[in-house]
Amino acid sequence: MNIPVSVIGGYLGAGKTTLLNRLLADPQGVRLAVVVNDFGSVNIDAALIANREGETISLTNGCVCCSIGDNLALALHDLAERPNGPEHIVIEASGVADPARIADYAASHPRLFLDGIIVVADAETVRTRVHDKYVGDLVRSQLETADLVVLSKVDLIDAAAFRQVRAWIAAEMPGARIVAAPRAGQVADLLLSGATGYAALSRPRADGEHARQFATWSFVHRQMLDGDALRTAVAALPPAVVRAKGIVRLVEAPERRFVLQLVGRRWSLEPEPVGTQDALASDPSVIVCIGLADQLEPEGLDALFASTPVAALPGAVRDLLQGEATT
Amino acid sequence: MPGPITIFSAKKIITMDPAVEEATHVAVRDGIILELGTLEECAVWGPYTLDDRFGDSILVPGLIESHAHLLDGLLWAKAEYVGPIDRRDPSGKLHEALKSVPALVKRLKEIEATISDSKTPLIGWGVDPSLNDLVDPITRHDLDQVSKTRPIFLLHASCHLAYVNSATLELANYAAIKAPGVLRDTSGAPTGELQEMAAMMAAIKAVASDLVGASTDTAQFFNFAKVAQARGATTIVDGGGSTYFEPAFLQAALAATGSPDFPVRIVAHNNGITVPKVEDMIAAATSLKDKGNDKLTFQGIKILVDGSNQGFTGRLRAPGYLRTGANGLWNRAPEELTRIVSAMHAAGMQIVAHCNADQASEVFIEAVAAAQAEKPRADHRHFIVHGQLLDEAQLRRMAALGISATLFSNHMYYWGDFHRAHTFGAFRAAAMNPAATALRLGVIVSAHSDTPVSPVDPLLTMWAAVNRVTTTGRVQGPKERVSAYEGLRMMTYNAAWLLHRDHEIGSLRVGKRADFTVLGSDPLTVEPMAIKDVPVLATILGGRVFSVAG
Ligand SMILES: [Zn+2]
Repeated sequence: MNIPVSVIGGYLGAGKTTLLNRLLADPQGVRLAVVVNDFGSVNIDAALIANREGETISLTNGCVCCSIGDNLALALHDLAERPNGPEHIVIEASGVADPARIADYAASHPRLFLDGIIVVADAETVRTRVHDKYVGDLVRSQLETADLVVLSKVDLIDAAAFRQVRAWIAAEMPGARIVAAPRAGQVADLLLSGATGYAALSRPRADGEHARQFATWSFVHRQMLDGDALRTAVAALPPAVVRAKGIVRLVEAPERRFVLQLVGRRWSLEPEPVGTQDALASDPSVIVCIGLADQLEPEGLDALFASTPVAALPGAVRDLLQGEATT
Repeated sequence: MPGPITIFSAKKIITMDPAVEEATHVAVRDGIILELGTLEECAVWGPYTLDDRFGDSILVPGLIESHAHLLDGLLWAKAEYVGPIDRRDPSGKLHEALKSVPALVKRLKEIEATISDSKTPLIGWGVDPSLNDLVDPITRHDLDQVSKTRPIFLLHASCHLAYVNSATLELANYAAIKAPGVLRDTSGAPTGELQEMAAMMAAIKAVASDLVGASTDTAQFFNFAKVAQARGATTIVDGGGSTYFEPAFLQAALAATGSPDFPVRIVAHNNGITVPKVEDMIAAATSLKDKGNDKLTFQGIKILVDGSNQGFTGRLRAPGYLRTGANGLWNRAPEELTRIVSAMHAAGMQIVAHCNADQASEVFIEAVAAAQAEKPRADHRHFIVHGQLLDEAQLRRMAALGISATLFSNHMYYWGDFHRAHTFGAFRAAAMNPAATALRLGVIVSAHSDTPVSPVDPLLTMWAAVNRVTTTGRVQGPKERVSAYEGLRMMTYNAAWLLHRDHEIGSLRVGKRADFTVLGSDPLTVEPMAIKDVPVLATILGGRVFSVAG
C-alpha cells in the first residue's frame, strides 16, 4: 500500500502544534507518523509515550513522532521503507517553509504520495501579518498554496470576526477552502483522507461543536457513474465543501470500485488498491461531502451530481458506454 | 625546559603589526615567535639553527580562511571534481576547469576508464557548465555516452541539483518518482536532471549514500586542510553545520587534527543550523568549549538567516530580485531569530550569522540592537557571514553595535556578471561586498571562499577584494576596492579578530604563534592583478614547515 503524506504548514505560532497534538491524541485508529522539526515543541502527553529511541518517539496508540534531523527526504525515505510502517505521514513544515516545497518531498519516494497541504492561520492576527514587512509575502504565499486553510484560535474572537476573516481570505484567495480548527477526535477525519470502506462513510458525527460548523451532504446511487461527469462535478464543487469521500463504481471499469478523496482543493479519484475484493454488482456509489454549515447548499450539490449516474445520460450514449464497458 | 630555537630568514617578513612592520629574520621556539628583526637581533636569545631555505621568499602572517565548510573535504574524499573552475585537489593536482558539456563528457570518460569494477558508481561534484552563460542543460543522453551501465551521479556546484544517467534512473526507480524536481522530456521520460533534495534523494540513496548523513571519515578533515594549506592557509573555519556535539564525530575530528601531520588549525563554529533549539545550541557550545586541541577549537555559534543570492533565496529589501521583484526564503522566522540572538547574546556567546542579502542583514542587525538594549555587552564580536548587500546605513549601525563581517568577495569574481544580469542589476551588483566602505566606517571585515561554493584560496580572495573584477574582466564598484595592505589585513589580522584569535595569530609579533605563509613574491608590491598568481611555496604552522606540492 502506498502511503499518503499530509503537509501542515503555517507561520510561527499559527497553531500547527496544537493541531498535531490533537491529531496524535486521537488518530482515529490510523497508524500515523508525524514528522516534526523539534520534539520539544510537540509536548506529547507523557502517558502516551511508549518508547523513545534517537530520532523517534513511539506512542502507545501505534503512532510515531520523528524529528526531521537535517534531512527531511532521508527521514521520509526511512519511514516509507520501514516494515509495518505508518499508514499516513504528516509533516509539520517549519514556520518559514513554503509548504508547496515541502509537499514536493511527498513525491520523493515511489511509495509516498501527497494527500493535501493544510495551512494553519491565526484567525486573530493573520490579516495584519500579511502586511508585515518581513514575513507578509511568506504568510500570503503559504495561504495561497493551501488545499485547506485551518483558522486557529477562533475562541479568541467572536462569530462576526470569524466570519470576517473567513470572508477576507476567500476574497483574497479565490477558491480557498477554509475551516475553523477542529477538536481532537475530528482532526484526522476532517484534514486527512483516511480509511474509506463503506463503514467509514457512514460513521456518525454527533459532536455539538462539529455540527455547528459543518453540515453533511450525501449521495447514494445504485447506478454506475460516468467517470468524466463525476470528475467534472467534483472539480466544480463550491468552496463551502471542505472534505469529501466516496466509493463509486464507474462505467469505465465496472469490475473495480473507485475511491474519491477530497481534502480542500485537492482531490483524487483512484481505483481501489489491487488486492481488494472485486466490485459486486450490488455495490452502490456513495459520496459524502462535508461542508460549512452556513454556506453549504444541498440543492446546488444535488444539481451538480445529477448528471453523473449513467441513467442521466441520453439513452444512445448510455447504451454505448454500457456496451463498451462490458465487452 | 624550553625547546631548541630555529631562526628563519627571509627576503622580507611582513608582520601586519602596526608598530614594527618588517623584518628579515624570525626566531621560533616551542611554536611561538621569540623575536623578529635582523639575524643579530634574533640571535641574542642564544644558540639557534638557521633555516635559510626561504631566504629569497616573503613571509606573511599565516593566511586565514574565515568561512569555509568541511563538506569540501568530504566531496574530495567521495567524489570526482568535475567543475567549471580550476581547483587543486588535496594532493596538489590541478583539475582544470570544464566549461562545456563536451569537455565534461570527455573528462568523465577518462575517469570511467580508470574504475575497474563495473558496478561502482561514478560520482562527481562541482558541476556547473553554465557558470555565467546559460548553456543547454546536461541530460542522461550526455551521460549515457560515458556509460549506459555504470550508475553516474553528478552533484551541481550549488548542491541543489544533480545530473544522472539512465543506469541511475533505472536503479533508483525514477519511473515511479513523481517529484516535480524530476525533469521530464515531452515523452514523459526523466531527462536526468534532478532539482532539489526531494528529487535527488532516491538517486543519492541508490548510488551516493556517502554524501548524506554525518560521515566520520577522517579523510574529510585531512582533505579540507590540505586543499587550503596548498593555497597558503594556516587557519580555516569550519563554518557551522558539522556535528561536533556527536561523540563519534568529535572523536574523528580530534583524531585527525591531533596528528602532528595535520597542516592547519581549524576553528569550528558551533552548530546553530541543524540544532533547532537555542538552549541546546548554547549547551553544546558550552560543553565543547575546551574539548578541542592545538589544531581544533570551537568558537561562536553559527545560524542561518536566509538562503543564497545566486539561488534567488537570499532575503532582499525592496525592490527584490531583478525584474521579478520576487524575494527569497527565511531560514528562521525573524521573530524566532530575534529570540535566539537575544538568548545567545545574554549567555555570553558569539553569534555568527549567515545573512546573504540586505533584508536578512537588517533583521540580524536589529536583533543585535534589541539584545544590546536588554543586556549591553562590549566586544561580543558577533559577525555577519556574506553580508553581500550591506549598505552605508547598515554598516554605520553595525559599527555602533559592534557587529563585523566576513564578506563574500569571491562572489564578485565568479558571479559578478551573473548578479548584474540576473539577480541584482547594475547598481546593486556594483555595490556588492563593500569592503572599502566597511573599513572606512570602522567595521572590521574579512573575506572568504565559502568552499565548496568557491575554491578556498586566500590570495585569490584578497585579489578579488583588491580588484573587484568579474570573469569577463569588468570592474564593478571600483570605489569599493581595497588596497593590497587592507586586502592582506582582511585575510590575516581581521580574520583572526573575528575568530577571537588575534592575540595568538593574524599578525607576527613576539609571543604570538609561529604561523607563516611563505610566498614567492611580495603581495603588497606586485601588480594588483597578479596577487592571485603570487606563488605559495610553503606554510609554517607553530614553527613546523609544511611544504606545498607542485
Ligand atoms: Zn557557508
